[in-house]
Amino acid sequence: MIDKHRPDRIHVIQGECVVTDEKQKVLTTVLGSCVAACMRDPVLGIGGMNHFLLPGGGEHTGYNEAERFGVYLMEVLVNGLLKRGARRENLEAKLFGGARTVRGFSDIGAKNIAFARHFLDNEQIAYAGGSVGGDQGRRLEYYPASGKARQFLLPPTAAPQPRPEIRLPKLPASGELELF
Amino acid sequence: MSLLAQLKILAVDDTTTSRLLLRDALESIGFRNISVAADGEQAMQAMMKTPSHLIISDMNMPKMDGLQLLKAIRSYKPTARVPFMILTGNADRNVLVEGRKLGLNNYLNKPFTPADLKKALEAIVGRLH
Repeated sequence: MIDKHRPDRIHVIQGECVVTDEKQKVLTTVLGSCVAACMRDPVLGIGGMNHFLLPGGGEHTGYNEAERFGVYLMEVLVNGLLKRGARRENLEAKLFGGARTVRGFSDIGAKNIAFARHFLDNEQIAYAGGSVGGDQGRRLEYYPASGKARQFLLPPTAAPQPRPEIRLPKLPASGELELF
Repeated sequence: MSLLAQLKILAVDDTTTSRLLLRDALESIGFRNISVAADGEQAMQAMMKTPSHLIISDMNMPKMDGLQLLKAIRSYKPTARVPFMILTGNADRNVLVEGRKLGLNNYLNKPFTPADLKKALEAIVGRLH
């Protein structure tokens, strides 16, 4: 979502992924228990951000719908960078968010953090730092060209509450285009 | 052993986590004979060594993408008729039109559920249970 008054800033909402090769762009988001992965190729100075939530879910085997969507959003981020010329071996990522904003409920933030770290480990993408956990929400600005990030901690009452629904892209699941 | 468990399927994706996810979904449907490859080149080598009955491949991959793999599979006589399905993130119509020309059997958008996957596979090979 581009801010009309500040066109160099792109706000990334839950369930979205934005990749840019425009050097002046700033990617922003507001995080509670959600996690944002900020990924870039430092050689090319291009990068992107996604913003995801894996709601609820206890111990289970296999992947649930939320995790499949999380994997999809991470893959969109990686592929978006590779399409713009990034090299997989150069990729580095920062992680932000995953706060425990509501006491007494299961720690969704911790699950989001674990999921993101597990993905980076699996894909051998370098972890370049970030800020995760705690009990405060974050307002985040990410500068893909330099890789710098600025976060502003929000008062506990101001942390955004996660939307439990999963925002799936509106596309036919398979074979519904008249080609098949 | 059920017919489904005997069907050999090759799952191709350059993203390790997506490969695990695809394998997980195939196992939940009932497939037991699953091979994996991390890119088109690996997949082609695997098919030349021990052909699978069915191929599911990601579209966006380095070295050889899904359509290039499809073209190679169709050009190699022993694998020319193997059913081929592509996984894509955005159902790009041009990609699908090109795929259709090359003999693509079906496609499936990511993210998908095991039920979506089963339905898309059944459109190619008939009922799986």
